[in-house]
Amino acid sequence: MGIKGKAAIVGIGEVPTGKFPDREAIVCAIESARQAILDAGINKDEIDTVIPTAALYSPQFNTELVGCRIVEEIGLAGKVKNNVQIFSGGSSSCNFLRIASGLINLGVSRCILCVHADKLGTGVSAQGGIDLFSTAGISKEWEVPYGMHYSAIAGLITQRYMYETGTTAEQVASVCVSNRKWAELNPNAMFRKPLTVEEVMASKMLSTPLHAKESNMLADGGSAFIITSAERAREITDRPVYILGEGSRVTHFALSQEPDLTRFAYAAAAEEAYREAGLTPRDIDIAEIYDSYPVFQLIALEELGFCKRGEAGAFVYEGNTWPGGKLPMTTNGGMLSQGHTGAGGGVAILVEAARQLMGKAGERQVEGARFAIETATGGTYMDTHVTILGTEIP
Amino acid sequence: MSAPEKPAPPVNYWTKPYWNAANEGKLIIQRCLDCQKHIFYPRICCPFCFSDRIEWVPASGKGRVYTYTVVRSNAPSAFIGDMPFVIAIVRLEEGVQMLTNIVGCDPDEVRCEMPVEVTFERLNENFVLPKFKPAGSE
Repeated sequence: MGIKGKAAIVGIGEVPTGKFPDREAIVCAIESARQAILDAGINKDEIDTVIPTAALYSPQFNTELVGCRIVEEIGLAGKVKNNVQIFSGGSSSCNFLRIASGLINLGVSRCILCVHADKLGTGVSAQGGIDLFSTAGISKEWEVPYGMHYSAIAGLITQRYMYETGTTAEQVASVCVSNRKWAELNPNAMFRKPLTVEEVMASKMLSTPLHAKESNMLADGGSAFIITSAERAREITDRPVYILGEGSRVTHFALSQEPDLTRFAYAAAAEEAYREAGLTPRDIDIAEIYDSYPVFQLIALEELGFCKRGEAGAFVYEGNTWPGGKLPMTTNGGMLSQGHTGAGGGVAILVEAARQLMGKAGERQVEGARFAIETATGGTYMDTHVTILGTEIP
Repeated sequence: MSAPEKPAPPVNYWTKPYWNAANEGKLIIQRCLDCQKHIFYPRICCPFCFSDRIEWVPASGKGRVYTYTVVRSNAPSAFIGDMPFVIAIVRLEEGVQMLTNIVGCDPDEVRCEMPVEVTFERLNENFVLPKFKPAGSE
């Protein structure tokens, strides 16, 4: 018994990502939730379960999310059965889907609101952000004492990937250009000015071979979606976004214990997802791949079956993932261009997958898109999730 | 403003022998008495066969750089003064992997698969951290 075709996304919401010092995180949460409910066109009282993910900038705000503030703010007190947090860092998006669709499939919940909001762009200082991410999810015993932090993690992974595959620095940089091409068309993105490979290569070196413009930027933002049963979804809309398949693996806690930094578990997770959906890479119209750093999009393109090993760099460099390309990839611009809102970076990519399949992506709409693959990974890339979504049940 | 102190590792009863040995300039790792596999980092029970019969054995201290990065900017506060410095994952001959720093050479000379050997650097009055240097170097 799987989840194929049992549950569907029926509404989405999102506020612009960026640096908004005067915009409280709760506003991001409520505005995103409100948009999602209005987008679904349902009576809000239909929601019986609220699932916020964690906010990292403030323990106080996070306990408000845990403490049912969203339920009270949107007038669902006395109606919602449970408010419970789901948090697995960047992969919270896929765990939202997995757990919410499971609850719906079991009949435990009928209509679920999943919400993210954080204020990492202005709620912490620049150095505070670096320091937060030199301990968050990093082994205090075996890695923190050596100066480990997220730019170094991306550097370690990119270095080995380039060593094993022969991918060039320009090809890695071209992933950022691809994401920016999409962000130019995304009014909610933080960075929308055109970007070139030369500009990426000329940007400051952080941890070799990672350039500053190959690093995501922490941002404020929020997004939300509504998920319900397939039967109910068909009553609500003529274009439900069905969950067709999913696969995942937890691979490590400490990055140094990961046996293959150039593959992680994308292939195993994808194989499960394709099998459940009954689809192959050739059926996929859009690849909404979790970035945070460009190397992960290259690894995923190869391990998900879109490119042969070592050929993803050239595939992206040649423009195949740009608007109008063979395989539209990360069409909101990803965390490299839309901005990294913590757990919400992945939620925004999932919401974008739904937006494209609903036909609501405006200027960047991929015409005729029926099937999208979406990935997420949390913490130090400790787990790998692959989900396939579609407008029909194959 | 002075840089914050370098973070020291928390010590638990099952990891204490590792830190005591490091203080004496020795690298030790665990080995499972039942399945004979080497284990790092130190575990409460064997991650391979789930046995709790684990012994400490001297490690060769020799290995190769699996991957590395030279930190040139945006380091955590306590490490800003160290830049540029090398963070690496080393694969020991025993098959285990460790996060470490590569020292004793120009950071730009480090390469993937470069042979390295253990060396020890004092962190503070209580701790010595095992690090690695190019094999055969002073």
